[in-house]
Parts: sequence; structure tokens; C-alpha cells
Amino acid sequence: MSALALYVHIPFCRSKCAYCDFASYPHREADWTRYFAALRAEWRSWLPELADREVGTVFLGGGTPSLVPVERIEELLADVRAGARLAPDAEITMEANPGTLTLEQLRRCRAAGVNRLSLGAQALDDRLLRRLGRIHTADEVRAAVWMARQAGFDDVSLDLMYALPGQSCEDWRRTLDAAVALVPEHISAYSLIVEPGTPMADWVALGRAVLPDEDEAIAMQREAIERLERAGYARYEISNFARPGRMCRHNLVYWQRGDYLGIGCAAHSLLGGVRFENPRGLDEYLSGARRLNAHRLSRAEAMEETLMLSTRLCCGMDLRAYRAAFGVDFFETHRAALDRLAALGLARVEDGFLRLTREGMEVQNAVVLELID
Amino acid sequence: MPNYDQSRIRNFCIIAHIDHGKSTLADRILERTGVMQLRDMTDQVLDSMELERERGITIKSKAVRMTYTARDGQVYELNLIDTPGHVDFTYEVSRALAACEGAVLVVDASQGIEAQTLANVYMALEHDLEIRPVINKIDLPSADPDGVRQQIEDEIGLDAEGCPLISAKQGVGIDDVLEDIVAKVPAPQDDLDAPLQALIFDSYYDNYRGAISSVRLKGGSVRVGDRIRMMSSGREFDVTEVGAYLPLGYAPKEALRAGEVGYIAASIKDIADIHVGDTITRADKPAAAPLPGYKPVLPMVYCGIYPADGGDYEGLRDALEKLRLNDAALSFEPETSVALGYGFRCGFLGLLHMEIIQERLEREFDLDLVTTAPSVVYRVVKTDGSVVSIDNPTNLPPVQEISWMEEPFVDAQVITPQEYVGAIMELCQDKRGTFRDMKYIDGGRVVLSYDLPLNEVIYDFFDQLKSRTRGYASFDYELKGYVRSDLVKLDMLLNGEQCDALSIIVHKDRAYARGRSIAEKLKDAIPRQLFEIPIQAAIGGKVIARETVKALRKDVLAKCYGGDITRKKKLLEKQKEGKKRMRQVGSVQVPSEAFMAVLKMD
Repeated sequence: MSALALYVHIPFCRSKCAYCDFASYPHREADWTRYFAALRAEWRSWLPELADREVGTVFLGGGTPSLVPVERIEELLADVRAGARLAPDAEITMEANPGTLTLEQLRRCRAAGVNRLSLGAQALDDRLLRRLGRIHTADEVRAAVWMARQAGFDDVSLDLMYALPGQSCEDWRRTLDAAVALVPEHISAYSLIVEPGTPMADWVALGRAVLPDEDEAIAMQREAIERLERAGYARYEISNFARPGRMCRHNLVYWQRGDYLGIGCAAHSLLGGVRFENPRGLDEYLSGARRLNAHRLSRAEAMEETLMLSTRLCCGMDLRAYRAAFGVDFFETHRAALDRLAALGLARVEDGFLRLTREGMEVQNAVVLELID
Repeated sequence: MPNYDQSRIRNFCIIAHIDHGKSTLADRILERTGVMQLRDMTDQVLDSMELERERGITIKSKAVRMTYTARDGQVYELNLIDTPGHVDFTYEVSRALAACEGAVLVVDASQGIEAQTLANVYMALEHDLEIRPVINKIDLPSADPDGVRQQIEDEIGLDAEGCPLISAKQGVGIDDVLEDIVAKVPAPQDDLDAPLQALIFDSYYDNYRGAISSVRLKGGSVRVGDRIRMMSSGREFDVTEVGAYLPLGYAPKEALRAGEVGYIAASIKDIADIHVGDTITRADKPAAAPLPGYKPVLPMVYCGIYPADGGDYEGLRDALEKLRLNDAALSFEPETSVALGYGFRCGFLGLLHMEIIQERLEREFDLDLVTTAPSVVYRVVKTDGSVVSIDNPTNLPPVQEISWMEEPFVDAQVITPQEYVGAIMELCQDKRGTFRDMKYIDGGRVVLSYDLPLNEVIYDFFDQLKSRTRGYASFDYELKGYVRSDLVKLDMLLNGEQCDALSIIVHKDRAYARGRSIAEKLKDAIPRQLFEIPIQAAIGGKVIARETVKALRKDVLAKCYGGDITRKKKLLEKQKEGKKRMRQVGSVQVPSEAFMAVLKMD
């Protein structure tokens, strides 16, 4: 049986960013202790079911995991280690906000087993950072990377965002260059999605924030691909770039539909062909609700998910594995659509994999839709 | 009503121009006679169709029995038969009128007589009804009851002296209306001893009682257990229930007798066995002849109706059949379209009738529809001398086989305040109209008569008239005849492929503008796809307008956060749903809405 990926959601933030619609709760310091107790209890409740299943990756996501006292992280990881068989080479990632870090804290995290640090840089541009409602500056990002290195992290990732209101292609180039100059092992570059109900959505609706148009957004994406690839970061997923051997193994599990268990509020899981989730609300989680909307995927759903997720990856969808899993030859059953997409230069089948081209990835939703019956 | 006494029965309807307060008056009458308790009252009790309430109009006829103790101390049985007000539903009105002896004519105290007021009055006169004018909305500051009374006398020739002045909204004068009905509407004079003759003026399906006929007994009587015969088909049934209608239900009785209005249930499973306009008689003692039926009506406007989800064809057919049962003016037959698949060519009395049917199909039968542009019936004289009628542009013979074409014209009357005469003349001119006549009626109002091509009327005439006269003008028309005309077929091409469902027949002088406007609308309605889509309007292969839908540039979710793929799946489901509503025209996906977007005017 393949190793399990464990996701732990830590839903606390100092303040909410303008674009954020994740499950994150500022001003809930009073609940931190209670939350971590609940989290650890949830983890322990899983142990009988997991038996001695090996855990291959751990991801502490948020929210802002770096906001809470480092003792909480230490206790949590000690529990994980004590309860389950952690792979010797396990990837243990923690997300961190550059505005919340100290060297001492990072040293202790590293000592507790965290070996990959994912920094929410978003932009290396103070004007844009202020606009997004981020609590840190560009210099604090630089300091965070330096501290991470001092603390012994040899696997650091930077999250960046583009297609921001008021961001020019030139601004984006500068952020990319500044990010590359920090020599991280991994870079995620996400196109901003304006989610309904966020302050950003209101600003856009009121005309107070003007988003780059589609052509500009695509130009920024292409700019990122070119600059990062030239700097030695290979694109391996729509929004993710890594130096050789530094892809995020935890996230690959999501895209390849491996088993993952999510604990904490708003955490999602896929275990043995069943999807379920914890409540999104912190209070609901604290009052004990767990494992909601459990749903065993039908074969058709699993097929659709496979297509939808694996075509996000540059290596594409493994057609042989697809046939082994579902007993159908995707190439045969979708020949007409595949020919159409190939003629449009959006997808191709090579070496037994279905891969989207750069242009195909820009319209991945529409391409997937063409391939769904 | 203790005993049957024909002299105390009053069968009446209420007629009015739309918005003059007919349904409100009906509500007050129901309240006053106590069939409806105040607490049961919702606005427009008789308008039970959701659609009717929303639009504030009455579509189907209904009948309600009430008892009323008049000032003379006698108890009367009042049967109110509700009728639609719009010109498209003239046919329904005519059916309801045949069941009555009198009509209450409601006229708005500030608007006065309007086009449909006249149309309804003429129809009531055709049925020999006693017309009782009532002036409503006297509470409005702009009310001019004396002026309107004079107008009724001058323009319709009715004696309006002492007619009730009421405010249905405020419940003022309702007793006067009831007293007037009792005093002036004649009692039925039908022969109780004659063989049964029951005129069917409506039918519908009830889950418990089966198919039900709404009837007016013109002679004889009918009771539970009687064997009845439909005079047109000869089919026979056993009566299981007879009775009168309450606003929200039934009042079963042991018999219905000459002069009365009510319902007959006879375990009729198939509503197709009941033909509105037919006469029911008794099998053991049949009447010699049926009552005069209704004039069959001819549809004037046609369009294609298709299920948005191709699998719903059967459901659409069932729904159309159910609607046709009590709407004889609706016609339909199967047709196929390359773009839209299997559907029906449907005929309607007018645009409102078409809209109402579409909405009823969608609401009452939960269907998702695609509708093509409405078309009138053209006459094509072919080179071999034969003549064909065309109600679907797709069926137009090839140009070389056409000698000439004719299109229907209507005799149109617009009643308008004087200041809009210029605007209306301009509009009618724009619509290829021919001016016939202009008459001043009163208070600065004018009746304009025009000959107009029906295909312009069904395009955007109503909307234009409304906006150019700020809603003050009223409009009525009737078919006049066919006129030879220079018509062409306008085709739309998507990525080089002709789309049959988007073709229209249009006057040559209009083709360029229409082609350009449809191309523009399609450009907005067709979502961007993986490739660029040229949209062209063409006449006989010659392109007269062109637009382009640019290829999709960016359609991707940046992030699947923390293994939560629900958002991505939801988006995909939504897109799949959208795809189901798409029609394939060659290589192009066309959303159902696009076919209708071209109908919308600027």
C-alpha cells in the first residue's frame, strides 16, 4: 500500500487578507489551545484505522501555522511521530507567513522535524503587498528566507501571486526576478482568483480595483514560465515550479489521487476511494463535528477526477495506469476529441501519457470538458 | 340556494381592458358574497395560475358560484365567469361569453375606453349579452368619472346614466354592482324539460375526479348516474359527480339544471375526450342538435419549441397535449431541426399567447425550452403555379422555384393621446405600414388606423409602441389578408456552417439591419470556445454581416487548495450542465439561450 499523505489545517491568522476565502480566523487566540487539543485528539482517533500505514508526507497548512506558539507544532509533530510510522525520508512542510517568523522559532521547527518551509511571499513589492492586506514587507520575505537557511532548511518554497489589481507585467517581472534571486528550491505562482464575498470582490465590483485583462494575465503566466525555466525551475504543474528533485511530494498526492487524510477544520480527505471533509467553521469543528459528506466515488467520478487532476501536471495522465485502474483505453474512447484538441495545439498523446500543451493548460477547464462524456 | 329557480340565476362575466381592475373587482365580489372569507383572500383569487398573478393578468377562464341576498330580500345565485383581457385570448373570452347572459364592463376612471375595451364590447354584443358598464378607480386623483361616462355613451352607445362608480381596490360601490347585475342582467330562460344540452366552455384534469368539463346548461338537467354523450364524438360516459365551483374548490350537488353553470365529472380518463365548444347531452334522451360551437381559430404566429435537453421530447409533447386540451387556439406538430434536434412547430394567436404558453410549459411542466424566432405564415407562389404556405423559414422552396411571395397584413388600430401621433406614425412608417385613417375621439385622444405587415408586428412593434408613447397608447389588430411582398430568407452561418434554427424570412429592405443585429447578439450569446468563430449573416450565399467570437484565452483554476477539490468539481459540474444546454452547430457549441437572444430587441 502506498504511503499516506497527512494534511493538518491550522486556521489562525493575524488578519484576513483582502482576497482570502480560506477557512482562516483572526482574533481567535483564546481558542488556540483548545483547537490543538482537538486536533491531536482527532489524530489519535485515526490511529486504529491507520494501523501501521506509513506516512510519507505531512503538510501543516493554514491559516498561518507559523503564527501559533512553536510548542504547539512540536507537540503535534511528536504525536504524529508517536502514533504512526513516519517514512524515514518523510517530507514535512510547514506554511509560514514571512511577517511572523523568528530564527529561534524556525530552529525549533526544524528540530521538531519540519524539513520544508513554504513561505507566503505573494509579491516582492511593498505597494502590492499593502494592497493585498498582507502583514509583511518584501524585506521581511528576504529576511525569512535568510533565517530559514540559518535554521537549516534546505527546502524552501515561495508562493507568489500574479494578475493582481494594479499589477503590471513589469511589476510581475521584478517580483519573479527578486524571488529567483533568493534561490528557493520551489516556487508556486498562482493567478489571483477573486472569490465572491471577499473585500477584493467588492473592490472589483465597485471599480476600486481593476484587474489585468485576460491577455495580460496570460502574458504574466507565460512570463513566469519563461523566467523560471531559464532560472532552472521546471514547471511540473499549472502553477508550480521546482528545481530538480524538489517537487512538492505532498501536493503530488492530491493531483495523482493518492490517499490523503486531512485533520483540523475544513480539511479534506480521500481515503480508500471515499472523499469526506471536516466542517469548515472553527466553532463547528470545536464542537466535535467530523468526517462530513462522506461519499464513495463511483467509477465514473473517479475517472473524471483522474482526468481533471492529472492533466494539471506537466507529466500528464498516465494512460496505462488509467487502463489498469478503469479497464478502458482512454485514447481509443476519446479519439475524436483528442484529434480535435491536437489539431488545435492544446493537447497531445506521447509516450503513453496525455499531456496538455502550454496553451492547453491555459484553458485546462475547457480542455477537460471536451474530454468528458 | 334552497330551491332551483331560474329567475334568480344570474350568469355574468367581467370584461375590461388589461389593468382596468377586473380581477380586483372579482375579488371584492367574492368577498362581499361571502364565498371567500376575508382571511382566505389573497389578491386575485380567481387567478390561481402563478403566472397570472405575476403578470397581473387572467389567462384561463374560471367560473364561481355565489349566493347574494339582494335589497329586494330575495336570494340570488350568481355565476361569475372570469375571462382574460388580452387581445390574444379573444378566443377564451368568446367561450366564456357564450355561457353568460350579461357582462360587467369595467372602465378605468382615468384611462377611459381603450382598444381592448372596444374589442371586448363588440364580442359581448355578438353574443347578445346585456352589457353593464362600471367605472372603476374613482379613488385615483386623476379620475374623471363624468368624462368617462360620457365617453361610454358616445363611443359605445351604452346607457351609462347611473352606472356604478366604484373603487374595487377600496371596496367602494361593490353592492351597487351586485344590485345592478340582479336588476339588469336577464335571468336565463332555458327549458328544464328539454333534452340535456350542456355547453362545454372549459376543461381540465383533476387527479381525483378525472377530466372535468365546465359547462353551462342550456336545457334539461344532469345528475349523478346519468349516462351522457359527447355530441361531436358520440362517446358516452357515466356521470360520477356534478356541482358548482367555489373559488378554491368544488361544491358537489345532486343535479345541475337548465340555466346553471357548473362542472360535470364522469370518470373520463383522457382529457382529449372533452372538446371545448362541444355539447353534452343524455344518452337516453339526446338533444336533436348540438349548440352552436365556437368559431375555430387560426394561429397567426408560429415558432419552433424544442426541449433544451434533447431527452425531454416526450415530456414536451405530453405537456403540449395537456395545454391544448383547454386551449384550442394552440396548435403544434412535430418538426426537426439540424441544430435543435426533435421538437414542435407551434402556432399561436399572437406574441403574448406564445410567451404565456412558453412560460406555462417551463413552470407547470418544469421544462427547459429553446424557442426559435416567431414567424408568420407566408404564401409562396411557385413557378409551376402551385401555392404553398410556409410557417418555418427552413421550408422555403429554393429561390429559383419561387415566382413571388405574399405576407399577411393586419388591420391595426392604435388609440393614443394626441401628442404621440407623430411618434406612432413614424413607428408605423418604419414598420412598412400604410396609413388608412385618423379619428379624434375625445379628450385629446386619437384612433389611428394602419395596414401593417404582421411580421413587423410580431417583431418589436409592441415594445416600440410602449416606449415611444410611454405606455399611453393601446393597440389592437386583426388579420386583413395577404399582400405580395419582396421577401428574402436570411441565414446565419457559424464557423461556416448554416444554422437552420436561426433562419428568418424578412423584407428585403430590412435584411441588412436584421442580419447585423442578429450577428451582434449571437456574438454576445455564444461563449468563447477553444477556437475563433466567425458569425455571418447571408442572403442566398451572399454574406451581408460578420462578427467574430474570439478564442478562449484563460480558463483554469489556479489552485486546488489543501486537497479540497470540491470547488473544482463544482465548477466542472456547472460547466457540464452548461454543456448539456449547448447545441452543436457544426463544430460550434451554441447555448440554448443564444437561439432566444436573437429574438430580443435592442
